[in-house]
Formats: sequence, C-alpha cells, structure tokens
Amino acid sequence: MLWYKAWLETRTRFLTCLSFLVAILVFFVHHAESILPAKSNGYELMFYAHFYLAALWVLSVVLLGMGGLLRERATGVSSFTVALPVSRERLVTVRLSVGVLQAVALAIVPWIAILLVSSSNGRPFPISQACFYVLLLIGGGLVYFAVAIFVSSIVEGEYTAPAVAYGVLILVAIVCGSVSKLRTYLDLWRFITGDRYYNRTTHLLSGPFPWFGIACCGCIAAVLFLGSLRATGNQDF
Amino acid sequence: MTAVIQTRHLSKSYGRVQAVHQLNLEIKRGCITAFLGRNGAGKSTTIKMLLGMIAPSAGEGTVLGLSIRDAEANREMRRRVAYVAENKPLYGYMTVGQTIRFASSFYPDWCADRAKDLVNRYELPIDRRVRLLSKGMRTKLALLLAFSRRPDLLILDEPSEGLDPVGIEELLESLAGQAAEGTTVFFSSHQIAEVERIADYVCVLERGRLMVDASLDHLRESYRRIELVFPSAPLEHDFCISGVERIREHGCAVSIFASGNADAVVERARDLHATSIEIAPVGLREIFLETVREG
Repeated sequence: MLWYKAWLETRTRFLTCLSFLVAILVFFVHHAESILPAKSNGYELMFYAHFYLAALWVLSVVLLGMGGLLRERATGVSSFTVALPVSRERLVTVRLSVGVLQAVALAIVPWIAILLVSSSNGRPFPISQACFYVLLLIGGGLVYFAVAIFVSSIVEGEYTAPAVAYGVLILVAIVCGSVSKLRTYLDLWRFITGDRYYNRTTHLLSGPFPWFGIACCGCIAAVLFLGSLRATGNQDF
Repeated sequence: MTAVIQTRHLSKSYGRVQAVHQLNLEIKRGCITAFLGRNGAGKSTTIKMLLGMIAPSAGEGTVLGLSIRDAEANREMRRRVAYVAENKPLYGYMTVGQTIRFASSFYPDWCADRAKDLVNRYELPIDRRVRLLSKGMRTKLALLLAFSRRPDLLILDEPSEGLDPVGIEELLESLAGQAAEGTTVFFSSHQIAEVERIADYVCVLERGRLMVDASLDHLRESYRRIELVFPSAPLEHDFCISGVERIREHGCAVSIFASGNADAVVERARDLHATSIEIAPVGLREIFLETVREG
C-alpha cells in the first residue's frame, strides 16, 4: 500500500506534467512541419523536439522529486507515516521507485506521441533513433531526479526543496558550462539532449551508445539516493 | 504487574533546550495511564521517543519489551501499538475510505467489522477527501484507525482535541472498553475531568521532568489541603515537614498543600495553638496546578 500512497500523492503532479509535455510536443511537431524545407526528412526537427522535451522533463522530474518525509513534516503529517510499522528505508525506496517509473513514463510517452504525429504527417522517424534519445534522457536525466530527491531529504518546506533543487541544477549547469574541462566530461545537459552525438549533416545521433556515460550517471544517482536514505534515517520526526 | 513502557534516564535536548530530562517512567500493563503536563512540558517528545520517531539524546527505554533505540525492534513494536498523534495527521489527498484501506494493510490485528461499525457510528463520509473533513471528523477518523485494531498498547496524544461533548463521551467509553479487553492505554491530555473519570494512573511532566507518578486512588488518598488559623502569624519553617509541598501565608492564616503526612501537619498546628484547622481532600486539577506551578 505504500506504492498506492506514493501514487496518490504524486498522481496530480505526474499527470499534469505528462499532459503538458505531450501537448506541447505534439503542438510543436505538428506546427513545425510547415516551416521545414520540402526536401527535409524532418530529422532535425526531432533533435529540437527532444531538446524541448529534455528541458521540460528536467523541470517535471524536479517537481516529482518534491515530497518525502521532510515535506510531510512541514505539512504536519509525518507522524502518521513514521508511526507505520515500516522502515524509513522502505518509505524512501518506494517513493524513489514510483518517482523513477514516472520519470521513465515522462520520457517515453511524449516520444511515442512525437513518433505518431510525425508518422501521420508523412515524415516517419527511425525508432532506433527515438530509443537513443529516450535512453540518453532517462540514463543521464536520473541524476536530475536524484538531486531533487536528495535536496528534498535535507531541506524542509513544502516548496523550499524544489526551489533549492532548481537553484542547485542551474548552478551546476553554469559551472559546468563555463569551465572547459568540466564541459568536456560533465556537461550533463549536452548529454541528455543528444547534442554530443548529433551529426549536423545527417541530423541523426551517431556513434556507439554511451553505456559508460550512462553507467557514470547511474552511479552518481545511486550515491545521491543512498545519501537520501541515510539522511532520512537520521532525522527526528 | 509488568511494565509495558519502561524508560531509564531518558533525555532529549535540542541544543541547550532540555525537552525531556532523565525520565524514569513505568507504565503498567492493562491500566489506563494519563500523561499530564503543560504545553511544551515534553509529553509529545516523550511519546515520539517511545515510538522511535525521535532519537533520544541519552537514556534507554523499552516498549512491550522492545528497545526504542533498535530500528528493527521498533518496527515490530509499532505493529503492536496503535498511536493517535497530536493534531491527528492524515493524508489530505486520500479519501476516508482510502485512508482506512491504507492503514488496514499494515496491521494483522485489523478488525474490518469494527472499522465498519465505527464508520457508521462516527458518521464518516467514506468518499470525502480528508482535507475536506472538519477537525472533529478528522479526529474521529484518526481514532477509528486506532480502535479498529486489537493492539497491546494504545498511545494517544490529546485524543479529545476537536471533539464535541458527545464525541468525548464516546471516546472515553471506547478507551474504557479497550482497557477492559486487555489493552494498555497511555494518553496525554489537558482535560483533567476526563482523566479523573477513566485513568488508573497519572504521570505529570513539567519542563521535561517527571513530577508525579502515582495511581489516581493514591493521589486522592494522600493529597490534602490544610487551612489553618493561628492567634499570631507562625514561622514558615514551623511546617517544614515531609509531605508539605507548598505553604501560603495570609497574616495569621496558613494554607498548606501536602502530598502526604497530613496528620503530622495537624499535630504541629495543634502544638502551635491553631484556632482553626480544616482538612480538605484535593482534586486532580488542584494537584496538577500546584505541581506545575511548583515545578
């Protein structure tokens, strides 16, 4: 039933974000078709569509990361949750799992919508390329979600945690973007948008799939998730 | 009688503020024990430490024989304890029905029939969201979640808060019923009249320290207010006798509040040629007020 609670707690945010993402991207893909040159296969359009999707996705997952026991403490309901005969680790893990599933859905469903609209407009897009984009977004983007979860585990307040999380992400993006060495290895934004792998001639993502980069992002996310578990375990409610 | 809750030098401090100080508490099995104290006396902090929600700064404690410091034992203990928190926190985004289904899934001792009865008796709207319930309704729902089980221990933090007189009456009946079924009841309250009606034992906490820990019968038997009048004003140290808690002088009249040993006080008054001696039993309200003022 903790899954059920996590779903009820986040479903409004999740469904709002999902509807917004799908609507914006369908509108973009449908209307941007008219400004493309006649000979274009529309692949560059997909790159830009994914770029906008990534931006909105990051905003959405930080919102989904909002919650947890500290937020419940701020709203006065944490006593009910921590009095349940379940460990705090389980409470955090369930919330994380539901959040990750929702983040995955926020990446996949809009892409399915994009492919359907694109196909119906007579410009089919390779599914393998769509998968490449989706995996980059999910694999790398989980770091953004993990940052949101970690911040919500150490910063109290209903809206303070997402505000701080956005601040942290903007700060990291500025630092990584302004230092050239960091830009080469740590520019997560270029990673999840596919900019690193985008061939400006063919307008397709090229090269081998960056499993190592995804694994590194997974490790960073895991460390942040463990930090959240530890922080929650040590707090008074 | 074995102790269901036992603490030894249990303390909690927040920086320099000592919320609970060296608390030695023993709650007896099968009894109703009231936990009294002013706002900020440390009652809720103590309860939260017992339930593992707050880590003690020092000291030890057990609930149902399980250590409050061990996370695994604590989880097992929470399965056997029903707890109603102060302010009755519940998820505003769930409906009454969803809240009941959610809570029932965690406890093997959940009685679905009893829950159904209580929904009808409390007239709870099953499809209404909790955030739309009145304070009284929310309190009733929180109580329903506790009373729909057969726990070994029932801990309630100001359970009558937000209830109307009928609701309070039903609550007291339910608490007495739970105790009759063998459940130990430990509850904090500001309503002295309720405590006097149902409690077997009373603990009074003041500034984190345990000031009174006795049975209600014992308190009634031993506490006395003694009003004395003398031909001339006596000296205060004339009544420095064991059991004398407070002395108030108004000229030749002396008012003594004693937790015991009233006979010795009367004897001393006679030795000092008191012209009037009146002994009156003391109610719990007065005991409480005198204790916390003194503290």
